[in-house]
Amino acid sequence: MLFNSYTFIAFFIVMLILHNMPFPWKVKKVNLLIASYIFYAAWNPPFILLLWLSTVVDFFVGRALYTQPNKHKRNLLLVLSLIGNLGMLCFFKYGGFLLENFVTLVNAIGVDFHPAKPNIILPAGISFYTFTTLCYTVDMYKRKSKPVQSMLDFALFVTFFPHLVAGPIVRPPQLVPQFETPRKANQQQMLQGLFLLSMGLFMKVVLADSMLSSSADTVFGFPGKLQTIDAWLGVLAFSGQIFFDFAGYSICAIGAAMCLGFVLPQNFRYPYAAIGFSDFWRRWHITLSAWLRDYLYIPLGGNRKGELRTYVNLMITMLLGGLWHGANWTFVVWGALHGSYLCIERLFRPKKAPTNIAPELVPSVEPVPVVTVSASFAPPFFRSKGAQNFILALLTFFLVNVTWVFFRSPDFTTAWRLLTSMFSRAGNGAPILPTIDMIKVSVVIVLMIVTHWFMRNTTVLEVAQKTKWWIVGIVWTAMLLLLILSQASSSSFIYFQF
Amino acid sequence: MHDKKFLKAGWLALVLLLALVASWEWYWRSKGFPVAFNDDNALWAKKRSEVYASPASSTVFIGSSRIKFDLDIPTWEAVTGEKAVQLAMVGTSPRPLLQDLANDEKFKGKLIVDVTEPLFFMRNTARSEKSAREGINYYKKQTPSQRASGVLDRQLESRLVFLEENAFGLNSLLNYMQIPNRQGVFSFPVFPREFEMMTGERQAFMTDKFLHDTALQHWQTRNWTILGALDKTPAIKGDSLIAVFKELKTAIDKITARGGKVMFVRTPSSGGYIETENAVFPKQDYWDAMLTYTQTDGIHFTDHPETAHFVCPEWSHLATPDVLIYTKEFIKELNQKGWFSKPVTVK
Repeated sequence: MLFNSYTFIAFFIVMLILHNMPFPWKVKKVNLLIASYIFYAAWNPPFILLLWLSTVVDFFVGRALYTQPNKHKRNLLLVLSLIGNLGMLCFFKYGGFLLENFVTLVNAIGVDFHPAKPNIILPAGISFYTFTTLCYTVDMYKRKSKPVQSMLDFALFVTFFPHLVAGPIVRPPQLVPQFETPRKANQQQMLQGLFLLSMGLFMKVVLADSMLSSSADTVFGFPGKLQTIDAWLGVLAFSGQIFFDFAGYSICAIGAAMCLGFVLPQNFRYPYAAIGFSDFWRRWHITLSAWLRDYLYIPLGGNRKGELRTYVNLMITMLLGGLWHGANWTFVVWGALHGSYLCIERLFRPKKAPTNIAPELVPSVEPVPVVTVSASFAPPFFRSKGAQNFILALLTFFLVNVTWVFFRSPDFTTAWRLLTSMFSRAGNGAPILPTIDMIKVSVVIVLMIVTHWFMRNTTVLEVAQKTKWWIVGIVWTAMLLLLILSQASSSSFIYFQF
Repeated sequence: MHDKKFLKAGWLALVLLLALVASWEWYWRSKGFPVAFNDDNALWAKKRSEVYASPASSTVFIGSSRIKFDLDIPTWEAVTGEKAVQLAMVGTSPRPLLQDLANDEKFKGKLIVDVTEPLFFMRNTARSEKSAREGINYYKKQTPSQRASGVLDRQLESRLVFLEENAFGLNSLLNYMQIPNRQGVFSFPVFPREFEMMTGERQAFMTDKFLHDTALQHWQTRNWTILGALDKTPAIKGDSLIAVFKELKTAIDKITARGGKVMFVRTPSSGGYIETENAVFPKQDYWDAMLTYTQTDGIHFTDHPETAHFVCPEWSHLATPDVLIYTKEFIKELNQKGWFSKPVTVK
């Protein structure tokens, strides 16, 4: 079920009514669980079985991991859990990719092998709920928190519909305690939740789908060389599209949960105002970068095993992070680019005392201090710290756009074509974008960058609290009106495919 | 203090939104626009699921836009007593739809295939068949949620004019500004809003304003000229054409082997369109040859004096009064060919 659908609106209204009825808390939790299964089944009913399997197995394995005194048996249980969860993910998500590469490899060494292409359906949200359950089993292994006592609470933790198919990726301590006590939204939470839901849908339907997606599709789908401006506008359109699409989903999830009285973690913090890549990964898909830090980077050794090993660990983390996004080598290259940027940034970072914290992947609410270089030849404006930081943010945004070329391109031929068009001075590419599309992309992207910059150290709700009520009302009206006017046919969120 | 802020903002948003939406709806109704439905994959999929009715009680139609405009479904159903399942898609070759029905073992009904030669025999099938393939794919992979959303969507569309996306959606409003493009850039020409609206049964129609405004009609004929000028490649001939005929025959034979019936129809065109079509796709080399190769009957509008005289306002689709006449004449021709399970009387 998509947030941007009439079915969800009807579903959510029913959920709000049921959740605010005077039922016992256990009944409300059962309602939420059944609703979450309906939410998932509305995509493809048989795949509910996979979700159940994952839930039941990890509930019992998690409890066994916590209580098992024998270290070898605990290790075996952990391995079984990892094989089960990652095996399922690998089969559904990477089965075709692995087979394709295996066939390419054996054919290259002269073995004639051409199996039928498997037709494996990718279950919606498998990457997300697999990581959610892995959080739990690994935490139980490390005994970081106590096992969830109730199967109902655990099942709800895994399948809670706002975060089920595309995050935010929640940790057990963030969500499970919320199920232990009765809760429903007070008036402020309800209204703020509805405001966030409106905003998330506006970002997805109006900005991502209506304003940007067609330009991105046109540019990335063009089979020839492009004029530089067309190539750049197409890539910028995609960078805006993926942000508004994914951040829009996360905000919808947070808003929907808030309307029910629950709190989900923030997942985006104005990433296009990031100054440097460490800062970028503290702002983009925050819950994923925190997961990668805690369950991959730190277990690999983090930055505790020397400089060279730190760079290796960073690269491994980012390569696997790239592969998580999709079964294609272009995603691996995307991850490799981000890993390289992080490594280069670390190389030139001022040296500090060693720390066990991995600064590159630590979500932080503190502004990142930036070393500025005074340039006496620059005009006065550019000598200000704010201006220098803004320029560095633009440079970061520029480099992020280069990575998005690989993320969006279906293959390396397309990626190369885009990159050569973007950086070509020959000017013999084709112009393809209509003027109206160029205007839409330009206006939206400029406003996006400016908004990100001014909002980088605050949140929408904080700003709304400080703003006159009638301005908030007008902005809310405008978002809903544009949403109604856009009525773009319900297209999926991009991250559903992950 | 904070509670009241969001409460007041929420109330203001609700009141303003209702007022603006009501005004927007009233504005378009006052311009004479009727309630119309979006020609989307969800509605097409709903119609596609209706093809399994008994052959005695329904006929399925596939084609491009002409049959959508030219077949008056209420007249068809009133005169024949049969349901019309309209699966035609604008700007699209129906050949993938024919393949889809041929490969569907459960389909054993009656099928009429409307032929618009520039689309039907287009060399660039990636372009001409794109919408058809997307529609078929959507139908096959439609989720329960999409089906439910379609039902809710149609309830709203049946009551609100402004929900017609092609006419009143945000991007349509922006495209209507018709900002000039750079040289060499192609963008699909803007169609007059009044040109095509669609009922819930997927019948297309021109608004009264379009029928009485020659400026709008000339706007649309200019659009056809632009679109017709795009594909400068010669029409397929020789082996390529035979390959198409063979593909059609294979599909038709599958349907007829199961007890189904197939008929071709060529709906009217006029003016610049018929001139181009006659020049690029001569009747004897395409229409007649296709009927002979596939051993399938067909009704060509030029073969009958009752239908040969129509003038299309924008060269390609019939005006509403002519639609009713054409539909009755078409039914008469089908009746003479024994199409219906019981003879039909056309008054």
